[in-house]
Amino acid sequence: MRFLTTFVLILGFTTALAQAEIAVVVNPANANAVSSDDLNRLFLGRASSFADGSKATPLNLAEGQAAREEFDSKVLNRSSAQLKAYWSKLVFTGKGTPPKELADDAAVKAAVAGDSTAIGYISSGSVDGSVKVVATF
Amino acid sequence: MIKKSVLALALAGLLSSPAYADLTINGFASIKAGMTTGSNDTLYGYADDLDFKNESLMALQVRSDLGEKLSVTAQLMGRGNNDFDIGFEWAFLTYELTDNMRINAGRLRTPFYKYSDYMDVGYAYDWSRVPQSVYSLGFDNIEGISLYRTAQLGSFDSTLQLIFGAYSGNISLAGSAASAKIDNIAGITWELGQDWFNLRAAYLSGKVTIDAPALQPLLGGLQQVGLPQVATSVDFADDKGVFIGLGATIDRNNLIAVFEFNKVDVEDTFFAERENYYLSVGYRFDTITPYVSFEREEHSSKAEIYQPLTTALPPQLLLPLIGTVESLAFEADTFNIGMRYDFHPSAAFKAQFSSQKDKIQNDRSGLITVGVDLVF
Repeated sequence: MRFLTTFVLILGFTTALAQAEIAVVVNPANANAVSSDDLNRLFLGRASSFADGSKATPLNLAEGQAAREEFDSKVLNRSSAQLKAYWSKLVFTGKGTPPKELADDAAVKAAVAGDSTAIGYISSGSVDGSVKVVATF
Repeated sequence: MIKKSVLALALAGLLSSPAYADLTINGFASIKAGMTTGSNDTLYGYADDLDFKNESLMALQVRSDLGEKLSVTAQLMGRGNNDFDIGFEWAFLTYELTDNMRINAGRLRTPFYKYSDYMDVGYAYDWSRVPQSVYSLGFDNIEGISLYRTAQLGSFDSTLQLIFGAYSGNISLAGSAASAKIDNIAGITWELGQDWFNLRAAYLSGKVTIDAPALQPLLGGLQQVGLPQVATSVDFADDKGVFIGLGATIDRNNLIAVFEFNKVDVEDTFFAERENYYLSVGYRFDTITPYVSFEREEHSSKAEIYQPLTTALPPQLLLPLIGTVESLAFEADTFNIGMRYDFHPSAAFKAQFSSQKDKIQNDRSGLITVGVDLVF
């Protein structure tokens, strides 16, 4: 099991390095379009629903994952320190909590495949039929 | 930002909460050391001996989600200047009326300033401390209720807060201890922002009563000589206080600029009318953010209280009256230069030099502070 996790981790890293592209993924049952503005709002806690008004549950990758840094800098336009400062403002004022963090691409895929409200991002190379890609960066 | 599920379970059991209680524990800490540069200087609680305690603090915040849109948040803090005695900085219930509207009730942070809510969380800003010229009014926490509403106006994010409550506590007035009470506090704050800028306005008012034993001889004397109206214009007895604050932030292409202004007055008291502002500009070079800032504070004493009485009052009353009124006069300019270094994902090292010119005493004080701010 540990071997498998390590394998998936390494795979995730190498594909991310090779392609340096990330895919934003939702449940295949989710028909909403998601703009980069929407992503900003969802992942910064300023919105909590999709375009059709249904609930959205953003999922982050753990810090240290290659796609996380790509997402933070390309989509949210912030460094990880800036994001940490941003969330500490909301957390310590009781105004918000950061998106849940999952260990790796496989965990995000599993969560998105099993939850119609979920939205996450993974390295493009990890995409398969269990999730639907709504944007790439 | 850690979720301690084991502890959560243990505490959930202790509190005998419903079967499902999601408990989140966060913390922050600042370890700071500072000393003034001149041998007789004092500034912000520091003197010319290296002091590790004055601005150091540690805090734990516990938030329990009780489900059904109800949560409870408590923040326990120990400040070095109070010997790290732990107290409830805030404790409030939150009820989410809708996705973008919530009510907080309990002990809340008074929303005077842009950084009011997290002025103790050093990690959340670049300076070593929030600019004291603007942030030093006191009355930081009140007991009451607050409505918080966020909305999208076109491409702008709007945040509106209404607050009602009361304050009671011990303060220092004209250098002596006093007990203060502010009733009927009502306030509104509004923030409007886009990706790279943010504007803020705040208006709060309340009825201020301060009982200062050291003032009693003067107030009694004024009554005795048949000038109760003068006593009334000096004392704080259910007198209306008004706070107005304005702020603006720009954070674009790694350039960070912050401006805040505020004006405070308490009518019919000897409170010196305050007008304070600061402007800070910084630039983010990846993990290092150097900045400079300028602060000005002006507390204008109400000389009109004693000016018509300079011949009418006997000196044994006139002199204490002038002394009391003028003791609140203050005028100072402060320059700061410093930097923040994000040396770790959860911690920042900071160093700041501050130089304050007291324009009434015509005296300049310098202060060097270094420290680490962290969140966990």
